[in-house]
Order: sequence, then C-alpha cells, then structure tokens
Amino acid sequence: MNKPDLSVPSRQSIKGLVIIFIQGIRSLARMFWAVLVVVILQNNLLQHKAIILPALAAIFILLVIHTLLYYLNFYFYVKDDEFVLKKGYLRKQVLSIPLERIQSINTKQNLLQQALDVVALEIDTAGTAGKELKIHALEAPYAKALSALLKTKTTEETEANTSEASATKPIESVILKLEPIDLLKIGISENHIRTALIILAFGSQLFNQVQEVFQEKADEYSNEFMNFVSNSGWALILFLILFFAVVSFLFSLVKTVYKYYDFRLVKSEQAYQIMAGLVNKRNVLVPHAKIQEFSWATNPIKKYFGIYHIAFKQAVSMQNRKNQLVDAPGCLQTQLDLLKNDLFGPDELDAQHRFFSHIHYFRVGWFFSGILPVIGAAPFLFSFWFFWVSAVLWLAVSGFYCYLLFRKRYFQISTTQIRVSSGAVGQKWNQMELFKVQAVRFKQSFFQKRRSLASLEIMNAAGSISIPYISESLAKQMQNYLLYHTETAQQKWM
Amino acid sequence: MHNFTNAVILPENLPTLDSEQFNRLDKKYLSIIVIRLVLVFLIAFGGCIAFLILSEATPGIPVKIAVSAFIVLWLAFSIGITLLGFPRKGYLVRENDISFKKGILFYKETSVPFNRIQHVEVTQGVLAKAYKISTLKLFTAGGNSSDLSIPGLPKNQAQQLKDFLSEKISKHE
Repeated sequence: MNKPDLSVPSRQSIKGLVIIFIQGIRSLARMFWAVLVVVILQNNLLQHKAIILPALAAIFILLVIHTLLYYLNFYFYVKDDEFVLKKGYLRKQVLSIPLERIQSINTKQNLLQQALDVVALEIDTAGTAGKELKIHALEAPYAKALSALLKTKTTEETEANTSEASATKPIESVILKLEPIDLLKIGISENHIRTALIILAFGSQLFNQVQEVFQEKADEYSNEFMNFVSNSGWALILFLILFFAVVSFLFSLVKTVYKYYDFRLVKSEQAYQIMAGLVNKRNVLVPHAKIQEFSWATNPIKKYFGIYHIAFKQAVSMQNRKNQLVDAPGCLQTQLDLLKNDLFGPDELDAQHRFFSHIHYFRVGWFFSGILPVIGAAPFLFSFWFFWVSAVLWLAVSGFYCYLLFRKRYFQISTTQIRVSSGAVGQKWNQMELFKVQAVRFKQSFFQKRRSLASLEIMNAAGSISIPYISESLAKQMQNYLLYHTETAQQKWM
Repeated sequence: MHNFTNAVILPENLPTLDSEQFNRLDKKYLSIIVIRLVLVFLIAFGGCIAFLILSEATPGIPVKIAVSAFIVLWLAFSIGITLLGFPRKGYLVRENDISFKKGILFYKETSVPFNRIQHVEVTQGVLAKAYKISTLKLFTAGGNSSDLSIPGLPKNQAQQLKDFLSEKISKHE
C-alpha cells in the first residue's frame, strides 16, 4: 500500500487496529475513571471476582468488536475534487471537503504511533467548525505520498503554470535547525515570570486537592510552615525567590526541549515545513499562500543572544488554533530577514511613519492597573508604614510598565502591508498584507469619544490585530483604506 | 538607490463609512430584547424567592429590601441601556461590504467585505419567530472572531439579504 490511489476507497494501515483499540481504552477510562476509583477504593467489591472478571472480559470483547468495525468502516478517497472520509458503523459519518478548501495537511506522531512506526494525518480546513478530518494510522511513506498528492491537487488551480517546473524536483532548503546549544539559549530567554505563575497556580491547585484528602495533616504542616515563614523572614523570602527562579528556569528548559527538540524549518517551493518534538513528533506544513500573518518577537535576553521568536499564522478552524503551533523560537536576524523577504518582498515598511498610540493609552492603562488598585487599598494604607512603601512602589512599577506598553505600541503602513508593534519588556511585531484583511472593526468607548480617540481591530483568517487609542479621524481613514484594499483585491487570499 | 517615498498613505477621497447612513433595526426587535430581559430577571427573582423558602434562612427586612432594590435597579438599568442603545444599532449594505454597528458606552462598528464572506445563514429564535424577526449570520474563514451577526431584521428582508449576499459570494469564487 505504498502508492496512494485515491480514486478507490482506502483504509488506514493495519496497525491502526492497535491505535483504535488503545484509543477505545483511553476514552473508556476517561468516561469511567470516577466509577473505577470508587470500585477500587471499596475493597469488598473487588472480592466478587465472579462479577468483575466476566465484566472485564465482556468489555474487552466489545472493545475488540468496536475496533474491528471501526477499522473496517473507515475509508477515505477523492471523488469529484472532494476529499471524502467515511467513518462510523452505528452512526455513519461522511465528511467531505473540496480539495481547494484544504488549508494545510499535517502529520503527527505520539509515543504509541512512534512505536508502531505510523503517523497521524490531519487535514485542516478554515472555518466550518466541528469537522474532524483525521486519519490515525498511516505508514510514514504512504502518508508523505498522500499529503504530497493532496497538496498538488490543492495548489493545481492557483499555480497551474508552475506545476510543470516543480514536478521535476522539489527544491528544499533548511532555513533553521536548532542544536542543543540553541535550545539552551531559548530556554534561558523564555518568559520566566509567566512560567513561575503557571507553576504557582498549578501548585496551589495541587495543594488544595491534597489538603482536601489529608485535611488534618495538611493543617498541621501548613501551621508549621507558617511558623517557619514568620520566624525566618527576609532570608526565607530571598530563598523562595531564588528557588522559584531556578525551578522556573528548569521548567522552561524542559518545556523547550520537549517542544523543540530536533527542530527544523524547511522551505520548499510551495510551503514551509516545521518538524520538531521530543516525545510527540509533529510535522506541520504551511503553504505559502495560506499564511495570513507573520510575527517576530524578542525580549532583553533574546536580544542579548540575538534571537527572535517567529510565528506563522495561517487560516485554521477555531478548535485547531491552539494545537497548531507553527512557530520557531530561535531565529537569527539573518534568518528573520530571509523569511520576511520571502513573505513580503523587499522591506517597504521600515522607512514608513510610525503612528503611535495616543498618550491616553498610557493614562488609561496606568489608571486601571496602578491608581485604581491603590485607591481601593487606601483604607489599609494607614495601618502599617510598609503598605505605604508598597503602594508607592506599585504605582511606580505599573506606571513604568504602562509607559513601556505605550512606547512600543505603534503601527506602520504602506500601500500593500501593515506592521503593528506591541510589548512592554519584550517587543513583538505582527505583519500582514493588506488584501488579507477580512473584516475591520472600529471601536470607540464613551471616554474615547470625548477625546476624539478610537481603537481599531483588523481581522484576518488567522486572528486579529488591534491598534488601540489612535485619533478618531485616523481610525476612520484606516477603516476606509483597509476595506478599499480588500474590496479591490483580486488575489487568492487563502 | 533613489529616495523614493510614497507619501500619500491614506487618501482622503476614499468612500467613507458614515454612521448616519445606517439602517435601523426593526422596532419589534426592541420588544424582543426587553421581553428577554424581563424573563431573565423574573427567573433571577424567582430563584431568590425559592432560595428564601427552601433554605429556612430568615434575613431581616432591610436585607430583603436591599436585595429587591438591587434587582429592580439592575433591571431598570438594563432596560434603560437597551432603550438608549437601540437607536445606535444598525446595519449598512454598500456595493462591496456589509457593516453592523452597536453600543452606546462602547461603540463598535464592524465591516466585512463581500469577497471575504464564506457563507450566510438566517436563523430565528423562539421568541423572534412569534414576531417574524430573523437574524442574519455571516461567516468568515478561520474561527469566529470576525463573524458578524445582524439581529432584528424582518423575516423576508433577512431572506432577501441572504439571497443577495449568496449571489455576491458565488460571484467571487
């Protein structure tokens, strides 16, 4: 089954049986884990082996039957320029998608699939939520051939002229490859504060759960802990900060290696391809034409290493948006320039005027994050001098932060593209072509109206970019200009 | 390299989207929103009373008055905002795009060009059915951030708009 022939319905690899079976167990476990816990905790139930064993056997047999039926009823083929996927035996499902609507074809491998040497193939369509076009087990060469086949069919229309040229031999070049030392740099330059908050949130949740189970012991320990904290004071706070820094750093590092191990970004004639992952290997294909938005970000540590975190945003349906990570964390300036040139042509935005957000953006931000909380806490301030110090400190820090937010918030626009900058400690740029805009939203609050200010939200098939607090007249002009661009555009935008 | 600049970035003579030109929504839709609001508050009120009866709690008269006053004020505020905000709701169909505006405290005006609409639907709730009022839903690609729904259209008008848009969409493909 190495030559995909899509005119006849084909099944997935025979190894798919194992995958379907394991998935069945997994979904059963997900449904009945609560019941299982009760059964196991109530020891006396376990003693009724006469009931338990036949029940287990019955479940096992049903699962085997389910696996066989599911496997036998799972077909895919191409008919009348539509990719058709048939599945289900009790409730039959026919999913069909016109080939030109296919946004991207990705392959993934989890641990089990790696062990069986098969890959999962996902076909993503923009919009039309609720459709899942996923084939769980295909032999790797077959999957490659299949995605190549679908890809050529997909792009046939748009690039009919170039198809002959590309048919000879696809030119592939590796743009970016991450070595262990790069992963280390990336791990160091991650946002550790965010990581620490995640750990803290997760930890406190865990603590709560543990507390519920071991109520008395936990009380005892936490009392001891509180005593310890109040007795040791500053040294302990310092130690805790240090401890969190180290844990967050290690966590970031592990996360980076897990996600980006053996990372490669490859450019071919019609698409970018990203391969990465330590345990779950993913292989994402992004056709050039489907890219809606491109972003690159840096922060002080990344700046020191000279690396950028880049991301391609493509048109994907809502439920796939989170899983579909098409980003590269450690891109050098030269690689970034190469990619930008690739996507947008010679730079035409650097020289353009920077339209900054109005200073009111800073004032509102500071009011809500700095001044309002301090006013709210005012009654407590008089009780202890330390609170005064923290209040002033909070005002200063939040003010500085909001000022940074304001300083880095600007946009540049040319006759074909727009770039929006944002960030506080770090900085991030989003860039897109104007004809890819698919909706424009003009927003104005009551308070903005009094000052003749407004905000703008530019939406494309991959998400939205917001431009806060610009003058009302500029926002209106932008709105008209962006609509004009999309409405006169003839190009295919996805 | 010659110093080529392209100064006119935002031309002044583009057609402007004038918020005065928008069409108002059908008056019957206002009744629908108000009825919906009152229903929600009746349920909230009923919930409070049920809680009082079932929980055997005996709050003092001041608490009862405060809670009732709070609920009534909230209802009045919601209805007030709805009444004031209704005239600001409206839609506009131009040659190449469709727009919807709403909001008094937070004004929003969303425009979607015809050539970016993926498909169009007409839907109707239970209450709206009695009033023969429909909602027009426009779907764009890639998730729902830029989907647009225009409520409060007379049923036949919504259908006409849908047919008009469907034709426009098929022309673009």
